[in-house]
Amino acid sequence: MSRIEDIGIFNAMREEGLAKVLPAMPRIAVGMGTCGRGNGAEGVYQALSHAIDRDGLDIRLAAVGCFGACSEEPLVSVWLPGQPLVILRRVQASDVERILNDLSRGRITPDLAWCKIEEWDHITAHLRYGQGFPELPLWSELPFFSGQKKIVLRNCGLIAPDDIDEYIAVGGYQALYKVLIDGKPESVIEQIKASKLRGRGGAGYATGIKWEFLAKAKDDRKYIICNADEGDPGAYMNRNEIESDPHGLLEGMIIGGYVTGASQGIVYVRAEYPLAVHHLARAIDQAREYGILGANILGRPFHFDIEMVEGAGAFVCGEETALIASLEGFSGRPRPRPPYPAQKGLQGKPTNINNVETWYNIAPIVLKGPAWFTEIGSTKSAGTKVFSLVGKVQNTGLVEMPLGTPLTKFVYDIGGGAAAGRTVKAVQTGGPSGGCIPHEMFDTAVDYETLAQLGSIMGSGGMVVMDEDNCMVDIARYFIEFTHSESCGKCVPCRVGLDQALEILNGFTKGTGTAAQLTLLNELGRMIRDTSLCGLGQTAPNPVLTTMRHFRHEFDDHIIAKRCRAGVCHSLALSPCENSCPLHMNIPRFLDLLKEGRADDAFEAVFLDNPLPASTGRVCQHPCDDRCRRQTVDSPVNMREVHRFIADAVLLTDRFEPLAARIAARKKAPTGKSVAVVGAGPAGLTAAFYLALVGHDVTVFENKAEAGGMLRYAIPEYRLPKRVLAQEVELIRRLGVKFQFGAGVGSAITLNELDEGFDAVFLAIGTWKESWVNLPGTELKGVLPALPFLESVATGTNPALGRKMTVIGGGNAAVDSARTAVRMGVDATIVYRRERKDMPAIKEEVDAAEQEGVKFLFLAAPHRIVGDARGNVRALEIAKTRLGQYDSSGRRKPVVTAEIVRLDCDAVVLAVGETVDLDFARASGLTLREAGTFVVDRFTLETSRPNFFAGGDAISGASNVSNAMGFGKKAARKIDERLMGAKRFAGLAGGFQYSMEPPETTSTSPRHRSAELKPAVRVAGEDEVMVGLTDAEAGDESCRCLRCDIRG
Amino acid sequence: MAQKKISIRIDGELVPALEGKTILEVARGAGRRIPSLCHMDGLKDVGACRLCIVALNGGRLVPACTTPVQEGLAVTTNSPEIAAYRRMIVELLLVERNHVCSVCVSNGHCELQSLATSLGVTSVRFRYRYPSLPLDLSQERFVLDHNRCILCSRCIRVCAEVEGAHVWDMMGRGIHSRVISELDQPWGEASTCTNCGKCVQACPTGAMAEKGWAVEEMVKRTAQVAGAAVRKGVSL
Amino acid sequence: MSKLKLATVWLDGCSGCHMSLLDLDEGILTVAQQADLVYSPLVDATEFPAGVDVTLVEGAVSSQEDLSKLQTIRARTRLLVSLGDCAVTANVPSMRNTIPVQKLLQFIYVAGADVNPAVPTQGVPALLPQARPLHDYVKVDFHLPGCPPRPDAILALLSAVLEGRAPKLPAVKFG
Repeated sequence: MSRIEDIGIFNAMREEGLAKVLPAMPRIAVGMGTCGRGNGAEGVYQALSHAIDRDGLDIRLAAVGCFGACSEEPLVSVWLPGQPLVILRRVQASDVERILNDLSRGRITPDLAWCKIEEWDHITAHLRYGQGFPELPLWSELPFFSGQKKIVLRNCGLIAPDDIDEYIAVGGYQALYKVLIDGKPESVIEQIKASKLRGRGGAGYATGIKWEFLAKAKDDRKYIICNADEGDPGAYMNRNEIESDPHGLLEGMIIGGYVTGASQGIVYVRAEYPLAVHHLARAIDQAREYGILGANILGRPFHFDIEMVEGAGAFVCGEETALIASLEGFSGRPRPRPPYPAQKGLQGKPTNINNVETWYNIAPIVLKGPAWFTEIGSTKSAGTKVFSLVGKVQNTGLVEMPLGTPLTKFVYDIGGGAAAGRTVKAVQTGGPSGGCIPHEMFDTAVDYETLAQLGSIMGSGGMVVMDEDNCMVDIARYFIEFTHSESCGKCVPCRVGLDQALEILNGFTKGTGTAAQLTLLNELGRMIRDTSLCGLGQTAPNPVLTTMRHFRHEFDDHIIAKRCRAGVCHSLALSPCENSCPLHMNIPRFLDLLKEGRADDAFEAVFLDNPLPASTGRVCQHPCDDRCRRQTVDSPVNMREVHRFIADAVLLTDRFEPLAARIAARKKAPTGKSVAVVGAGPAGLTAAFYLALVGHDVTVFENKAEAGGMLRYAIPEYRLPKRVLAQEVELIRRLGVKFQFGAGVGSAITLNELDEGFDAVFLAIGTWKESWVNLPGTELKGVLPALPFLESVATGTNPALGRKMTVIGGGNAAVDSARTAVRMGVDATIVYRRERKDMPAIKEEVDAAEQEGVKFLFLAAPHRIVGDARGNVRALEIAKTRLGQYDSSGRRKPVVTAEIVRLDCDAVVLAVGETVDLDFARASGLTLREAGTFVVDRFTLETSRPNFFAGGDAISGASNVSNAMGFGKKAARKIDERLMGAKRFAGLAGGFQYSMEPPETTSTSPRHRSAELKPAVRVAGEDEVMVGLTDAEAGDESCRCLRCDIRG
Repeated sequence: MAQKKISIRIDGELVPALEGKTILEVARGAGRRIPSLCHMDGLKDVGACRLCIVALNGGRLVPACTTPVQEGLAVTTNSPEIAAYRRMIVELLLVERNHVCSVCVSNGHCELQSLATSLGVTSVRFRYRYPSLPLDLSQERFVLDHNRCILCSRCIRVCAEVEGAHVWDMMGRGIHSRVISELDQPWGEASTCTNCGKCVQACPTGAMAEKGWAVEEMVKRTAQVAGAAVRKGVSL
Repeated sequence: MSKLKLATVWLDGCSGCHMSLLDLDEGILTVAQQADLVYSPLVDATEFPAGVDVTLVEGAVSSQEDLSKLQTIRARTRLLVSLGDCAVTANVPSMRNTIPVQKLLQFIYVAGADVNPAVPTQGVPALLPQARPLHDYVKVDFHLPGCPPRPDAILALLSAVLEGRAPKLPAVKFG
């Protein structure tokens, strides 16, 4: 190969290159970046190579870099002359024969095809591949690529990184040629300044101005350096850029060298990036061979060379003065600036350092002009930035977006949001130097200024998405642990300050932290930020300061309540299932007791943890399932059904009496204190049970005729038979709890009377008002709110529904209403404005409703209820919705369209949510939230009135049974602490000896499910649908537990 | 080239200065007290201890020892925030190693101790680390006690810049940093050591001391060493 | 007005701080006018009483016994003062902190003993892994450093807290 001496040779080479990129035969290119190789791309390449050789196929095989979609690796692109380039995803070596077979017939293997590219803007050139394959989406139509603008990544995954010809083919080195021919370095600097390009390493200093400093510095030797010491956890943009397109970096640097008058360039690259090192070394050799590096570049009188230096992996060497120290052979410690490297850099000579990505932007700006560049991005932050989008999103990978793009776009549109059933909580930008941005702030534009205002930074472009399984305290601890171990030790704030910050955070995650330490940590964080010598220390506290600002409640949980909701901090929980249970049931304990055949002990243990075990065993939302580690093997242990089994075996048999006596025997000596509980729902019953157990005199006031609240009056008989609940209430009564029915507080008895008559009052009044929708026609006869409807059925008076009924809503009340109607012989349809997967109702209940003949209409919002002349409901008109932007719950917001559909019906049930009885709440004189719920102290549940506590739906808004019971249990503990001045609940449910040895074997059976009645039988009556586990099934299910409560 | 005369404001007062001087030099020349530990007259400044932080134009905090003065600069040498930060830095140094003053040769003559007193430290809010650190007694005349070392690097610099021997350097990183002689040999085996004792006199605490002194008896001749350093700097 | 209740306690220290307390000279009379010394190594009471207004604690927390004493004191005292360097920084007692307790006891009572080499277990409180300052375990209201603290500083602190003022101490050497 000859040196490029003139434009003729240059153009000839370009033609030669194009014949490789768009050959006269099919071309198959395998994505062979580190990520692709990690997923088996080498095997795919070898299989292809072998098959092509074996069969003597006329196919050009190439190894290219990465196209960015990490979660779809390995990627293979296939091109037939005249056709679009088709990208295949998740290709394995075993797919190769199929791919080649299909290709020989001009086809693309359909199950592997992901998208197509008809033409590609390399910025420096425009390539037309061809048109065709109408069945395939264009790459830009896929959510992952939507809105992406590939400038830096313009060549990645499309050309072979180890072949300079392919780079030249797509317009490479044209910008350099132009700059050298023009011979006006100053005007190039002006162009870079006008483009508003800012350093992509994180700090965002204007590149043009930096270049100007170097250009003006007078010295016999000047250096330019590329900082490729990418070291943030979770960030790998630079690695991919160099691996996939090393010449793009070289071209930027050579232009930089020419216009600033530098004679030597250095790439300081991480030694842990072997593939990048390999490709870069090869690219430097090729460039020298072609006369693009060295003396008389491209035949012009300009001499410049680039050397590659491998860094030893110290994070701090990403700081420019530490990097220079490292290049000089000293240990990588920063020094104070000024003097800046432009004045005194490498070997004391003027030096300019830019990040990898900054260099990639140079050639496009030179060719397309600054105006083109400033069009992209936001006013102050022009151009694009490559981000590595990782963490709890469905699509991960490298994403290049215009600066100023809001975070929602990254998380939901490109990332596809969290996995099903999870919610995204926060995004960490800028790696260990950045901060956490909570989901409420996802409209935040991702640019230098906005992120800085939020206490974060752009950094090199890491973007780690976190969901509710991430503990923010642990995240802060993790990042401090990282910067702590990477601190160089030169300045005191960073060296000792981070050590102490880590010490404090370790204490928080172990449950030994104090509130005073939280204040100290905040002050320490600000001190480290404001006084450290270099960028490492100055930014290291960001993760702590931002998580403390936006997730203070999680810190409080760890410090005050000693709880980690995410279940990450092991010292703060017994096991993942226990941690997720609102009642914090010791689940491994009852499973083991049952496994040991100690059914009575198991019942006692269950009841002491949860005084409504048979009811919750039927209707709980079972958050424990989501946490169970057994699901990493097959599926979660059916904990809910096992405790239902344990409870049924006592409550509904002659074992009731002896066990009721056993539990009553645990009652502590009378304390002489009296407590009033208002409301006999799950929260009230639970509180009453525990308060009585510790010896208080408890009276429950209930304005209905029986105890149970929603369990009794809203949940239908076929889900929870009334006799089951009645037995539980009876056992609670055996502890001495007194009930006053028909005693509505506010009417029969006043709060003042309670205050006078009792030492403490617990308000658990629930949410009994059905929300009314603002809808024309709700005044018509046949429009029923869900709760009164369910209640009248539960008390034996069936309202007239006609033949057809529609239910508006997607929660449990909606599903219960529809299933109840079906049992009354009514045709029921549920209308919901979002999709099925978004329904808040328990999934099993939705499935059961469908089996029973309930119809569903999704993406439908109520428009108006139509009546006849006599004021009876005749139809519900709904407006079809489509899904719009993501809202703060991480679900897409339904947007009403003009399409109206009429559903004929005789009744409409409104099940759009329940609220507290506002009249009562307002009259109480207690401080309320906007929704009418009581304001309480999060940790003590105290209301604004002394001795008055509140819990359950009355403080949280409509929730579910287990959450309400969790509040009841906590309220009992807090009330007892207040009345007795001591913590007496520890060990209240203790006294059971059971195995704490890891089980030698666990059952290999899949999850046992309860048998169900057949749908035809179900709708004919009110019999309970779920039969429950058999003796053998429950026993075996308990043997499926992996016992993650055993540690050490 | 003669240095240009400029003036800056220190705590509101106009102070004449020579361009190229540091804020610390100008402020101390004007009789201001700015605390410092790693600074020593005559040695190159490294900006490591961060005690001399001052606010520039009411905002950004910079170390006075390494920041050159500029015409029109307004410097604030103390504020509640700066005082709190300085105090915290001293607290951090006190917990980092084992500073048991009551049994230290430098008790009563220690720069760290007197800084703690002047900054009003009466207790330390952080947890003492109590690291296990060695004592180097191998040198015939001197002792190196890592328990008292604050890593200010004055010994390293005085040896390299004034004595020209460069016996000392820093190894490790972060909280594990440690001063070493040569390639981590015992001091007594360091062939480059000239036995001059400048490092000992430059040490602000009891980390380096002459042998034979008991508690409270080691009084450093820091000023003498600094004077020698400054004279050498001038003659260079 | 009834007199305030004052107590002094000696944990892992050398008693030097108490000596300094005795060095108040005639200042002790001023203190005695305002407060009764209800518990101290200097008086006979055997149990720490309830409702103490001010307690001066000398010494570091080194053993299980020190810790439980300190917790009792904290629960029964309004204002708790760390008296002297051992209470404030753990000082000399902390010099053992880099050595594991078992190794330390073996070294002293077995390797270093001429007669009856054995680690005593009867009648002696168990050592904690490290000697630590008081505020690592309980909230401390005032710190009075010094080895020992100066008598005038003790007097200044005592008179202030006994009169209910925020103490203004003379500049005391730290460490």
